[in-house]
Amino acid sequence: MAAALDFAFLPDFPLPLNALALFGALLLSGLVGGALARRVRLPAITGYLAVGMLLGQTGLGLLTSELLVQARVFVDISLGLILFELGRRLDFNWLRKDRALLYSGISESVLSFILVYVTLYYLDVPKLIAAVAAAIGISTSPAVIMLIAQEQRAEGQVTERALSLVAINSVLAFIVVTVLLAVLHFEYQASVVTVLLHPLYLLAGSLLLGTVAWYAALRLGAWLGKREERQFVMLIGLIIVTVGCATLLKLTVLLALLVFGLLVKNRDPQRVLLPVEIGAKGELLFIVLFVVTGAELDARYLLVGGAIGLAYIGARFAGKILGVMPWALMSGLSGEKAALLGLALTPMAEFAVAMVQDVWGLYPGLDPQAFAALVSAVIVLEIIGPLVVQYTLVRAGETGVKEPD
Amino acid sequence: MEQLTFEPSQAFSIGVEIELQIVNTRDYNLTRGAPDLLARLERIKLPGAVKPEIAQSMIELNSGVNANYATLLGQLRGMRDAVVEQVERLNLAVCGGGTHPFQQWSDQRIYPAERFNYVSDLYGYLAKQFTVFGLHIHVGCASGDDAIYLTHALSRYIPHFIALSASSPFYQGVDTSFDSSRLNAVNAFPLSGCMPSVHTWAQFNEYFARMYSYKIVASTKDFYWDIRPKPEYGTVEIRVCDTPLNVEKASALAAYAQALAHRLMAERPALPPDSYALYNYNRFQACRFGMNGYILDPSTKTHVTMTSDIAATLEQLAPHADAVDARTALSQLSEDVATARNDTAWLRERYRETKSFTDVVHAQVGRWKQ
Repeated sequence: MAAALDFAFLPDFPLPLNALALFGALLLSGLVGGALARRVRLPAITGYLAVGMLLGQTGLGLLTSELLVQARVFVDISLGLILFELGRRLDFNWLRKDRALLYSGISESVLSFILVYVTLYYLDVPKLIAAVAAAIGISTSPAVIMLIAQEQRAEGQVTERALSLVAINSVLAFIVVTVLLAVLHFEYQASVVTVLLHPLYLLAGSLLLGTVAWYAALRLGAWLGKREERQFVMLIGLIIVTVGCATLLKLTVLLALLVFGLLVKNRDPQRVLLPVEIGAKGELLFIVLFVVTGAELDARYLLVGGAIGLAYIGARFAGKILGVMPWALMSGLSGEKAALLGLALTPMAEFAVAMVQDVWGLYPGLDPQAFAALVSAVIVLEIIGPLVVQYTLVRAGETGVKEPD
Repeated sequence: MEQLTFEPSQAFSIGVEIELQIVNTRDYNLTRGAPDLLARLERIKLPGAVKPEIAQSMIELNSGVNANYATLLGQLRGMRDAVVEQVERLNLAVCGGGTHPFQQWSDQRIYPAERFNYVSDLYGYLAKQFTVFGLHIHVGCASGDDAIYLTHALSRYIPHFIALSASSPFYQGVDTSFDSSRLNAVNAFPLSGCMPSVHTWAQFNEYFARMYSYKIVASTKDFYWDIRPKPEYGTVEIRVCDTPLNVEKASALAAYAQALAHRLMAERPALPPDSYALYNYNRFQACRFGMNGYILDPSTKTHVTMTSDIAATLEQLAPHADAVDARTALSQLSEDVATARNDTAWLRERYRETKSFTDVVHAQVGRWKQ
């Protein structure tokens, strides 16, 4: 008797995309989007984002949120690389020699917070929500500035100062958001212990984790010797382990990696660690980061964001420019470059979306209108951010691109 | 075209132009810092002048005209301190050295100025490869004829200047085995080399007029010779030195040129008929081996070591050094000769110690500040 036909060796249909196929697909689609964008002299990032939006929930809906969960690991690694690199760009020596740079970082953070808060308050957004929204707005996207600077091969005072300011405002934004979240917990009747301990755990834990990574880098680096290839692998390894540990321990990837980078740059008296280039080699991951970011944006919010969203953008913008300009002039930048420096802080951080969703996820009862406004502002800034940064660097004459693609 | 006029200057006065590297403080690679730095320097008063150079990662310090080593050194120290202070506020650094050890020439950008654009259009990639850093020494001359005589007479000592100043062993990420690899970048230019056989200012003018009429040159700036008369300043300009790692060495080399000029003008030795026949050989020895090279003496036609030749010259110069207050400077150079060490030796030691070109440049930055 003949055996029944058995097709068990064939895969089940429809095919569920696994992580590898997904990574490859994101990479290739991002590549195409980036190349198209470069043809019309737009930043490649804009192309990655556009492809993401096209494939994501705004467009064809191919990249569903269940699918995107699988891409999370790549996104986390690329954020880790970017934040580490950002930390390495903040030079304490420079802040000592040019105090105005430090003060401009603090003043633009404080001023953009105040202006956004006051604006939202007058538009009848509840106080605490207005404060959280304003705090999220303090931070500028490290990824956008760093990748555009890299793509344009930009060097100069606007580029270098913008990166330092982003490092400062990322740290400040993180601290303020964490504290405000604690207050929010309190409003929602969490126990006092939770309210006090949670932010403390986040801050101290992330600091400690970053410090441990730095110490490991110094010891291992000294043992490996000054070999660029080895130290590169070591740093990537440590970055990934730190990202993983931060997630495991429910700490924050952002702060831990920033601290790691900061210490590597500023606390290496024996000059054990080589300044190995990480940014250019991370390009693969960064493409995926931005395609995923684009896919997660829900452009429908643009329609409901309305006046509050626009007011938010305007107030944040004013805060950044007014906060930076006087100090930049004191540092000897021309009026034009000072304004461009303020302008360069426009892009909002990719993790702003995540932060917003986290807050509203915890307390679904929160004002939905404010949520929509905030998300729409993030989307607008996400889209125009790369264009604005490219414009500022070109305008400041700091790009080194020889011929456009 | 009009005749070039030689504007006479105080005989044996000295001045220098120093080309400096602008590097970032991250990996100590060259960085396009000149526009931002020059904008800052415009606002403060300096004892000399700071100018842009062909690449945006270079600046040039120009001293004023000085009577002697001590005042030149004082002026250069003042300029160095002012520039270092401004540079640090921009989170940049400057340093000496004839080449950057690991920059890629293709990364360099030409400073946007008419002359630099012209040079870049004309010479193509040579212009960018010319991202090398030299010290130019000017010695004042009372007349154009004196300048022409000195230009020829000083050529005998060009290897000394190369060996004493050499500070460019590394180029594009490798040890070139040369003490001064920088001069190899100069050799590729069609108008490099030496002044032709003209012996008076009038003959020089004729030569220039001829080259001008062929449209080969537009001004004396287009002659990239090792030594050339500089009629606008009324000087002879020695252009073979690498930028030393500190202003002390730069000033001492200027004082050496000054004392040599004093002696040559006082004694007016006749120029050996075929002196230029050996010129390139001696120059190569100095570039390749520095203080450990050999010189074929044009008058005796014997091989002598570089160090003994410089030591003998320093001895002859003693009375002239007194006349121009260059004694301290020359005794400093004697020490270098006694130990056969130049800046290239120092740079190679730093590399052996740190195994990293980034750390070498970091050390150069520290040495410049001292």
